[in-house]
Amino acid sequence: MSKLKTSKFGLGLAAGAMALGLSTAGIAAEHASGFNGIGKNITDKAIEPWDISVFYDGENLPKGSGTVEAGQEPYDTQCAMCHGAFGEGAEGYPKMAGDPMPQFITSLKQGLDGVGNRGVNNAWGHAPTLFDMIKRHMPFYAPGTMGVDESYAVTCYVLNLANIVDYEFTCSNETLADVKMPAADYYVTDTRPDTDNQRCMSDCYDYEPKVVGAAVTGVSE
Amino acid sequence: MSETTLDQTPQSDAREGVASSDRRKFLRKSVALAASGAAAAAAGNAYAGDVKLETVTEPLKDGPTRNILGRGVVSVPYGMPSKFEKNVVRRNVSWLTADTVASISFTPWQDLNGIITPNGLHFERHHAGAVDVDPETHQLVIHGMVDKPMVFSMEDLKRMPSHTAIHFLECPANGAMEWRGVQMDSMQFTHGMMSCSEWTGVKLTDLMEYVGVDPKSTWLYAEATDGSALQRSIPMEGAKDQFGEPIKASDCELYKDAMIAYAQNGEALRPENGYPIRFLLPGCEANMSIKWLRRIKFVDKPLVTYQETRHYIEPLPDGTIRQFSFLNMANSVINYPCPDNQMKGKGSYEIRGIAWSGQGKIAHVDVSVDGGKNWQEAELVEPVLSKCVTKFKLPFEWNGDEHLIMSRATDETGYVQPTLAQMRKVRGTNSIYHKNSIQAWKIEKTGEVKNVQIENF
Ligand code: HEC
Repeated sequence: MSKLKTSKFGLGLAAGAMALGLSTAGIAAEHASGFNGIGKNITDKAIEPWDISVFYDGENLPKGSGTVEAGQEPYDTQCAMCHGAFGEGAEGYPKMAGDPMPQFITSLKQGLDGVGNRGVNNAWGHAPTLFDMIKRHMPFYAPGTMGVDESYAVTCYVLNLANIVDYEFTCSNETLADVKMPAADYYVTDTRPDTDNQRCMSDCYDYEPKVVGAAVTGVSE
Repeated sequence: MSETTLDQTPQSDAREGVASSDRRKFLRKSVALAASGAAAAAAGNAYAGDVKLETVTEPLKDGPTRNILGRGVVSVPYGMPSKFEKNVVRRNVSWLTADTVASISFTPWQDLNGIITPNGLHFERHHAGAVDVDPETHQLVIHGMVDKPMVFSMEDLKRMPSHTAIHFLECPANGAMEWRGVQMDSMQFTHGMMSCSEWTGVKLTDLMEYVGVDPKSTWLYAEATDGSALQRSIPMEGAKDQFGEPIKASDCELYKDAMIAYAQNGEALRPENGYPIRFLLPGCEANMSIKWLRRIKFVDKPLVTYQETRHYIEPLPDGTIRQFSFLNMANSVINYPCPDNQMKGKGSYEIRGIAWSGQGKIAHVDVSVDGGKNWQEAELVEPVLSKCVTKFKLPFEWNGDEHLIMSRATDETGYVQPTLAQMRKVRGTNSIYHKNSIQAWKIEKTGEVKNVQIENF
C-alpha cells in the first residue's frame, strides 16, 4: 500500500497512476481464488517413482520377492555392524530382536524396563511396514539404495532373526501382509486425556512430600 | 511487576519507616495478584524481611569500550549474538542416541526471555541428518484422492495466499528421560525438546480446495525428501484406525490448522528445521510436521508407518501399546529460577516460566512454592495465543528458606496439567512420550536450585 501511495501522491506521474489502475483491476478480479495459474498438473505415471509408501495391509508393496537365505549376505555386510549379527544391536544402535512379546508385556505390567528392549518382535504391528522402512531408510549410511528383491530378502532375514518367520519363508508383495507380527493386536488408538487433575488452590494435600533428587549427577554431559 | 519489586527495597536502616510502609504496599499488591491472600501467606511467598544492601563507594571508571571505535556495519553480514552469550546454544545428550545423525538437540529455554525461539536455537530432531535442499529444484507433489494431482515449485508456493501464525513445536519425547526418576540437571534437558516460532506458509486447507480433495478421503500423509523419507499419517473427518476404530473427532480437525511453511520468524526456514518447506501441524507431536516436505497424498486409511508403529507409541502398564497420540497436552515449566538460574541472595525475585498446550490457549498458570500444597495464579504475559508458548510471571520473595517451586498449566479446554504421581499411575514408566507432568525444582538454603521429583504428588 505504501508503495502505491508514493506513486500516486509523491511522484504524481502517469506511470504511477497506471500502476495503480492495473493493481486495482487485479484486486477487483472476480472469482479470484488466489491460485489462478499457479503450479502444474502432473500425471500419475510421473509421480510413480515417488509414490513408494506401503500401507500396513500391504497395499502398494512393489512387485518382488526375497528369501531369508538370500537376505543373509546383504544383512551381514550392510546391517550387522549396527544391528548385530543376531539382531542384538551394536554400538548403541537399535536391536532387531528385543524381548519376546510375553516378556515385553510383563515388563510393562510390572514396571520393569521394557523400552530398552524394543524390537521388531515386540513393537511393530505390520510386516509390510518393516519392508517399507528398510527400503526407504536403510542401510542407514546409504538410505534407499537397496533394490526391491534385496529389500524383501533383508526384511525376511530380519523377520527370521526375530523368530517371526521360518528359514524357508519367502517374503514378497503377496506374502508379507499375511505375516502376523507378535505386537499386532496390542495397539490401541489414543483416548487421552488419561489424567484428571483439578485446579486445587489451597491445602491440596496434608502429607509430607516425598522429594527425590538425582541418584547420580553429571548425566547431562 | 518490576515496578513493584524494584522500588520497594529499603535503602538503609534509616529508612525503616519508609520501608515498612512500602512493605505493606508490596504485600497488598502481591496479595491482589494471588488467588487468595491466605494461600499467598501459607505458600511462603511473603516479604523476605529487610535485606541489607551493599554500598558502592569506589568512583565509577570507564569500561574498555568507552574510548575505542567499534565494528562497522556489515562487518558481520548476518548478525550473531554477543560473544558473552556463547553459552546460549543448542545441546545434545551424547548417551541418548548412537550418533548425532539420528538424534535430538535441545533449546536453552533457561536463557530465553520471550515466547519466540531464535532460529539458531530451535531444537533439532533428525532421523537421517539435516540436508541442504535446493529451493530452485525442489518440488511439492499433491496427489491421491484429488481432482487434479499437482506439483508446485517454491515460487508457486510463494505466489499463493499466505498464512502466518505463532506456534510451538514439541517432540513428544520432551521430558522422557525423567519417567523413572530424576536424571537431568538442566532445564534445557528436561524441557528443551520444544521451540516456538512465527511460521509463514500456505494453509493446507487452501491447497486442498485448489487440488479438489475428494470428500471421501479420511487421511492424508506427508513425506520428506531426506534419507529417512520420513512419513506420517494425519487424520481428517471420518478417519478410522487400522482396526476400524474411529479416530476421535477433535483429532480429525487438527489438519485444519496445518500449513506448508517456508518461513520461520520472518526468514527462510533453517536447514535443520526443514528448508525450504516443511509441513506444520500445530499442537501435535512435532514428528508429524514433516521437514523437507516433498509429497502429500490424500488417502482413505492410515499408512501406520515406522514412526507410527515403532517410534511414537506408548507402551502402557495395562499391557497395551498406545498409538496415534497426536496431541501435546498442556505443559509448563519455571525457567527462572531453575537449575541453570540459581538464587543470588535473599529478597525479591520474579518467578517466570513458559506454558503451552496443543489443545488451544493457556487459560491459567498457577505457581506453588511449597511443593503443591498451595498455589497462586501467575500473570499471563500477552500475547496469549492458541498452540503457542505463553509466558507467565509471579513476584516471589525469598527469605533463604527451602522451597519446592512448580507451575501448573490449565488450558482453555479446562484440561489441567497432571502431577507426576497421576501421570505415572496411568502411564507407568515405559511410555516414553507425552510426559507433560508438573515439574518441581527445589530451592536449597544455599540458593542452589535442583531438579527433584515429588513421588507422592
Ligand atoms: C550405520 C548404522 C546402521 C546400519 C549399517 C543399518 N542401520 Fe538400521 N538403524 C540404524 C539407526 C540409527 C536406526 C534408527 C533410525 C531412526 O531413528 O529412524 C535404525 C533402525 C533400523 C530398524 C528399526 C529398528 C527398531 O527400532 O525396531 C530396522 C528394522 C533397521 N534399522 C534395519 C536395517 C537393515 C535391514 C539394515 C541393512 C540393510 C540396516 N538397518 C543398516 C542404523 C543402522
